[in-house]
Amino acid sequence: MNAFQDILVFVVVAPGVIFGLFSLLWLLDWVPSERLMSSITGVTFSASTAGVAALIWKIGSASNVSVSLGNWFAVGNYHFPLVLMVDRLSVPFVALAAVLSGLIGQFSATYLHRESGFLRFFLLLHLFAFGSLLAFAAGSFDLLAAGWEIVGITSVLLIGFFHQRSAPVENGLYVFGIYRACDIGLLVGIFAMYHWAGTASFASGFPTLTGARAVIVCLVLLLAASGKAAQVPFSGWLPRAMEGPTPSSAIFYGAISIHAGAYLLLRAQPLLAQSWLASTLVILIGATTAIHGTIVGRASADAKTSLAYATLTQVGIIFIEIGLGWRWLAVAHILGNATVRTMQYLRAPSMLHDYHQMHSAVGGELSPTGTQIEEMLPERFQLWLYRWALDRGHLDTILERWVIAPLLQVSAYLSRRDRARTLSTTTIRPDRPAPVSVAGPAQGGD
Amino acid sequence: MTVPGWVFRSSVLTGASVAAPWLAAIVLLVSRRQARVVGCIAALLSVIASTALVSRAPQGESLYETLMLLFSCLTFGAIVLLPRRDAEAETMAGILVLLGSTLLAYSTGNLLVLLGAWILSILPFLRASWLCSRKWRPMVALLSSSLAIALAIGFIIARTGVSSISHLKGQSPGGAVAFTLLIVAAIFRKGIIPAQAWVADAAESGPLVPAALLLNGHFGALLVVKLIVPLFPETDRLFPVLSYLAIATAVFVAIRALAENSPRRLLAFLALSQSACILSGLESRTAEGITGALVHWVVVAVSTVGLFGILRLLEVRFGENLSASKHLGLAEHAPRLAVSFVILGLALVGLPGTLGFCSLDLLIQGTLTTHPLTGLLLPIATAMNAVSFFRLFSRLFLGKRRTGFTVMADALPRERWILAGIVLFVVLGGLFPNATVIEHSSEVDVVDEAIRTFDNLNRSTGNSGNNLSMNARHLHLSATSMDAPEVEHAQQRPTGVHR
Repeated sequence: MNAFQDILVFVVVAPGVIFGLFSLLWLLDWVPSERLMSSITGVTFSASTAGVAALIWKIGSASNVSVSLGNWFAVGNYHFPLVLMVDRLSVPFVALAAVLSGLIGQFSATYLHRESGFLRFFLLLHLFAFGSLLAFAAGSFDLLAAGWEIVGITSVLLIGFFHQRSAPVENGLYVFGIYRACDIGLLVGIFAMYHWAGTASFASGFPTLTGARAVIVCLVLLLAASGKAAQVPFSGWLPRAMEGPTPSSAIFYGAISIHAGAYLLLRAQPLLAQSWLASTLVILIGATTAIHGTIVGRASADAKTSLAYATLTQVGIIFIEIGLGWRWLAVAHILGNATVRTMQYLRAPSMLHDYHQMHSAVGGELSPTGTQIEEMLPERFQLWLYRWALDRGHLDTILERWVIAPLLQVSAYLSRRDRARTLSTTTIRPDRPAPVSVAGPAQGGD
Repeated sequence: MTVPGWVFRSSVLTGASVAAPWLAAIVLLVSRRQARVVGCIAALLSVIASTALVSRAPQGESLYETLMLLFSCLTFGAIVLLPRRDAEAETMAGILVLLGSTLLAYSTGNLLVLLGAWILSILPFLRASWLCSRKWRPMVALLSSSLAIALAIGFIIARTGVSSISHLKGQSPGGAVAFTLLIVAAIFRKGIIPAQAWVADAAESGPLVPAALLLNGHFGALLVVKLIVPLFPETDRLFPVLSYLAIATAVFVAIRALAENSPRRLLAFLALSQSACILSGLESRTAEGITGALVHWVVVAVSTVGLFGILRLLEVRFGENLSASKHLGLAEHAPRLAVSFVILGLALVGLPGTLGFCSLDLLIQGTLTTHPLTGLLLPIATAMNAVSFFRLFSRLFLGKRRTGFTVMADALPRERWILAGIVLFVVLGGLFPNATVIEHSSEVDVVDEAIRTFDNLNRSTGNSGNNLSMNARHLHLSATSMDAPEVEHAQQRPTGVHR
């Protein structure tokens, strides 16, 4: 391996090693101080940022930097290749992940000072950085899926960060459900690539697929991308995800995670270009999401949700750009959107303070900036639209009524039948000497 | 001091691994003292003997020795993990009888001995205090499976007069009747549709940790690996039915788990749904599917014993009426139990970085190769299981902190070491799968044997066996693949088995 390959491996693996090491130490009863944790985070991501700068310099003169670490596992003709690769498409995303993770780490050292979950947040931040860097620097869809899943689970665990309240926990569960359902698309897409093209690697040329096969793979990848990017009809999870701490909202839903779906589509662009059906669908989904996002965002009452829908609107437009084949415009759009949104999210808790300062500076209220476009609509329609926006386009209701509720009803029906067949459901458990309430006093270790 | 050579004979080591727990069980039933210590020593002896067996097994023929080692380690861990109130002499004796009979079933090459081990393994569960008679389904399922295998073996021996498994390979002894009876035995013992309900009943009404060990003996899968695949190669058209039933079980039980609020039943459903995949992988008859199934066997066994063990520890500490219908907030009191629980559960449903990811990846790949449409149901079932597991985790461990607990509720030192060992196994196994499990399982004789038998059948009937031969050859190459350039692999198209 040359120096740049070493740097690439370091950039991707370093946060994972920090996560693994400190998790193990915690399991063995050692808790690092806040100062140590934030210092290590700063050093790690500073080094990563320097490494990414070197990679960018290298990519200026070469098409890509890739390193093959063999196969993660291999059986028969099936191999899971461990190939890391940064090219002109992935290097902006890798840079974004490394730089923003470091910034969020520094911000959170103060923001979460003396918070009981300080260590947990930083461990999850490192795990998230590892997952996102793995996804962006992957040389195959298999490895991308591994990073993708890690980002998903970290995201869910951070939504439930304030786990003493039930709302964040339940919202985390909802987001997890959406992620898992949509990730089936990515898994099936990878299996389809193996089955039809013999590989899911794109480090040495994209899997060759044509005709209906290319369309099928594009459609299942679009499902995965739509879920991750909160596109219609899966947009309902995004406002729920705002329950997490602000720094995690900033990096997940302002910058990295929300744009991972767009990255997947950009990666699959050679396939997408072959299928007008899939491209049209990407444009339609993007346009619907953009309209949905802008309308719902206008009726949102809190700062973070407004920002979430503003981000969603832009991601919808990015999907349109990808569908139209404007690849580099989409990349530039992602970089701009991610950077601005991260800053806005991080300032969101101080928004009232900022407004007070501005009002003091101008000596009163800020003057109105003009009329809203929806005011041009008939009043009756405005009211309908307002109700529609308040319920976030009824998307959650539709999913709950037509997907979740039927599944749960089937499950409950099976449960009733199951119980009915048992002669008695109240049996004495031999290893249960005395029923004790969970809310009651503890009974001792053993 | 040198150890005599006869000590290292396979028969002596196998005998020691089986006899030690049985003798300890007898000692416990007589003396009723120091149950945990006696149990630990007996299980440790089995672990040592199994380790010696694995190290002495010829290359490519160590499947059953590996399974023996796995089950002895699991039993040892379970005995250490068992709460004090459950570690009385009778329970420990039952666990040790189960250990001895399971190891005997893994190691034997004789049909009658297999039958004896099968029946012995369920004997502890016939006690009224273990599986209450009012929960009739576990009893019926276990007895039905025993009856079916007894009839099948009786039929085979009556027809052929031979009880050695190696002499009967590829002969379809007993024909369709014996084959059907063996399938019925596997269905009942494994909890495949329509006999799936007993597994949750056993977990709910029985002692939790022994029930977990009973389920993770995976006798149903053992029957497929040991008898059905090698003995009945011409049942090519009938055998997929078992795979379809297994996939249907995985989906059905995954749906069933979505609305379940009893943690015991919910965990049992998850374990059953994930373990049903093992049969579909074995039936796929591709190198990926079979290896994935065998590795998944290990993952399901390790994860579910850990999960059931943690659940039992929670019941002991926080009360018996745990429910997934509300948030209990136990993570504040037991953070290490919470972290172990979530890692083992996510490993069970295939989180990247754990061994479960590798096993499910291979298993689904193999199943999709053979059954492209029905195989699609496996990732769907796994996704539903992941949601159910996360619901259980969040309801048990997250939510408002409970007040009134005055004692330390987190893992005790002995529990911590066992849980750390289990967690490290699934994580390190996931990070370095070639170095741990896949390298080992890809050499297994049964895979090679099954493929070769099927290959021979194809050739004798005039079909091309090229795909299978290629798979068989690649089985032995996989261990060296870490050094192979990725590009070469990328150009190869997986052939799998297309029937």
